[in-house]
Order: sequence, then structure tokens, then C-alpha cells
Amino acid sequence: MNRLLKTPITATLTKHILITDYRTPTTDHQNMDTQWPRWEVFKQDRPGKPFEAVGTVHAPDAEMALLNARDVFVRRPECHTLWVAPEAAVLRLTAQELAGRQDWPDEPATEGSEEMAYHVFLRQSHRRSMVAVTLVGQVLAASSADAMHQAVAQYGASDTVVWWVVPDSALIRSNDDDIASMFEPALEKTYRDQTTYRGRIFEGRRRGGTVKEVPGA
Amino acid sequence: MNDDLRAALAARLLATADDELMLAHRNAEWTGHAPILEEDIALANIAQDELGHASIWYGLVEELTGQDPDRLVFFRDAGEYRSAQMVEQPRGDWAFTMLRQYLFDAYEMALLARLAGSAYQPVADAAARMRNEELYHYRHSSAWLRRLGLGTAESNRRMQAALDVLWPLAGQLFSPQPGDALLNVEGYWPDLNELRQAWSGVVIPALEEAGLGETASAAGPDDRRVHSAHLDTLLADMQMVARADEEAVW
Repeated sequence: MNRLLKTPITATLTKHILITDYRTPTTDHQNMDTQWPRWEVFKQDRPGKPFEAVGTVHAPDAEMALLNARDVFVRRPECHTLWVAPEAAVLRLTAQELAGRQDWPDEPATEGSEEMAYHVFLRQSHRRSMVAVTLVGQVLAASSADAMHQAVAQYGASDTVVWWVVPDSALIRSNDDDIASMFEPALEKTYRDQTTYRGRIFEGRRRGGTVKEVPGA
Repeated sequence: MNDDLRAALAARLLATADDELMLAHRNAEWTGHAPILEEDIALANIAQDELGHASIWYGLVEELTGQDPDRLVFFRDAGEYRSAQMVEQPRGDWAFTMLRQYLFDAYEMALLARLAGSAYQPVADAAARMRNEELYHYRHSSAWLRRLGLGTAESNRRMQAALDVLWPLAGQLFSPQPGDALLNVEGYWPDLNELRQAWSGVVIPALEEAGLGETASAAGPDDRRVHSAHLDTLLADMQMVARADEEAVW
């Protein structure tokens, strides 16, 4: 599992983020995976609330990833800001992996590399949840492995079950100008919430069931 | 409002609602069939939004004429519809669907921007509500325009083929109806020639930037009363259940 911490992410990042043309990536015919790359989606409901990892989308590039994230995850729920990051840019560590570790791996040579900001996300419960991890803070680090090391040291509460670190530079963000067109229209949709439906529902599985009037909210 | 003005406004609203309804129906046909799950969801969202817009416009028709939107949608024959042929066309391939959506979104953006200043307040209010949503549609379809236009030789070829079909049909969006002049004088509805120029000013450079070229300038249908045979099959499908039992309560 130490291997995880040593995986260089720079190459993958460059591949996904710095797309300047829209050509479809060449398909490897030996390995016919026609899926687009995956992106983690982070959602902030309201200003001041923490970002939460709500799931992934497939997308060919950063702009489409942000649009797909909006369509898949915030069509109805409240949202103020969305972030997406290439899945490969996210470094994860579970408490189990941490416990099985003798010590931290040797840092890859980072001479000359500037420190950059990493976002630290945690999950502190095994309970079922729509949220994978929640943003708790930032660290400055020379690599993802370094960032994870710091994250565990600073945010390593005994009940943490998983840590994620995500370089700030890997994030693609919606901005305040996007709120009106991407998030606000959902708020006035009558179909947002099931309880707003008025109508009749059929109760009972066979003949003889009854029709019940459902008053709208 | 005098009768002539009322009739002219109701006719414009009806044509606008009919366009949105047909486009929503064609887009909804992709549900479960889109090339990737994320786009399946995105297009279903857009279809639902367009259907919502249709519902708002039909609601304004009802305020003016007393016609029930459900009757308008499910019990009119093709000849009574005022939708443009562009939105009646079968969904085609993904390039056709995305290019049609792009051309229509650009038209709707330009229309709503002007209607938001309509002197008829219910229209101005409705347009203001739809504008933000439409901006998102435009962003989505123009993202696809660039990716398919500039993607592979095959995606460019399909987009050009779609443009060759859609371009002559697009003019019908701006075709005149009786009473347009009255609406324009009252400030209820924009001048359609000016609207067409504004639309062309947006879409022509965007199409060129997406690597799409000159297309045959064959004149398409003008009068919105003229439909393609595709509308008959679309209506047969869309109205089948409602017409099976006119008295049914949903």
C-alpha cells in the first residue's frame, strides 16, 4: 500500500487538465475501455458549509466534467459551488492501510519542487452516507505523499477512517457567475421534492386496492 | 387589449410553446439511449426544462384564450400545430441532436433576452424566469458543438451533415405570422428580422470556429403551418395515451 503514496500524479494531471484541443483520446485496442476518465465531484451546499465528495462522473475534459457534475449531482439539491478533480489526482489512505504501515515511505526527490496547497478531506464514520469525505482544511506540501503525511498528523483524529488529499491546482471550480444558471433554477422547481406532488396513488397490489388522494405540500 | 392584439399574441405564444414541446419530446427520446450515462441524464434534464418552458407558454395562451394546455397538446392535429420543422425532425444521431439543440438554444437565448423587456408583463416575467436556465443549456450545447466539430474527421462529417439538414429549416423559426406588426408596435414581441440577425451574428462565427463550413442555402419552409410528415408520427406517439380515453383523469 505504500506504493499508493509514491504514485506520481503530475503526469496524469497534465493529461486531464491541460487539454487544449478536443480530439478524442486514442483508444487502446488491446484494452478496449471506451469510458471517459473519471472525475471526483465536490459540492458545497451554501457559503460557509464544507465541501463534500458526493460521487464521480465520466467526462472527456475538465469543462465537461463540471457540466456533468452539475447535471448528475445538483439538478435538484441545493448547491453554491461545485469542484471537480481528476480521480487520479486524488490520493487516498484508509485507517487500515495506515495501521498496516511500518513507517512513512521515503519521499520521492522533491528538490526544486515548490510547495503547493492541498485540500484535506476526511471521513470519520463507517455509517452509510451519500458523502464519501468532507473537507476539513488545507496543507502546504511538496508532493501528494507529503500532503498526506501532514494530513494524518494534523487531522488524524482517532475516529478517522479515510483521508483524501487533493492538490488545489487539480480542482476545476464553478464560480459565482455560474450560480444563477447552474444552481438557482433548481430551487423553484416544483418537482424538486416528492412531497410537492399532488395527485393520487394506488395502494394495494391487486384488484381491490384503493386510490388515495395525496395533497400537495 | 383588443381582439386583434390578443389573437396575435396568443398565436406567437402558441408557436413558441409548440417549438419547446417538440424539442422536449425529441430529446426525451434519447432517455436510456444516449451514448454515455452522464449525457443521458443531462439531456433528460434539458428535455424536462424545455417541457417546463412549453408549459409556461401554454399557460399564457390559456390566460388569453381560455384554451386548456392539455387539450392543446394532446388533441390538436398536425395541421393545427405551429412548431417549426427543425424541432419536429427525428432525433438522428448525437451530432444532429446536439447541433439542433445548439441552434435552438442560441435562438431561445436571443428571444428570451428580448422578451424579458416585453411590455406585456406576464411574458416579461416568464422570460426572466427561463433565461438563466437557458444559459446553461446554451453552455452545454455549445460545448458539444466545439467538441464534435473539432473532434475527429467522423464527428466533423456528422456535424456538417446535420448542419446541411438543419440550416435551411432554421429560417422557419423567424417566419412571420399575421399580427406580428401589431405585437411589435406594442412592444409585446420583438421584430423577427432583427432577432434573426442577432441569432446569425452568434451562430455563424460559432459554427465556423467549430470547423463547420458553408452549407447549401436552399430555401426551407417558411410558413409555420407547413409541417413535415415527421410531425404526424411524433403526434401519433405523443397523443396515443391521452386520446385512448379522453375522460381519463391523471
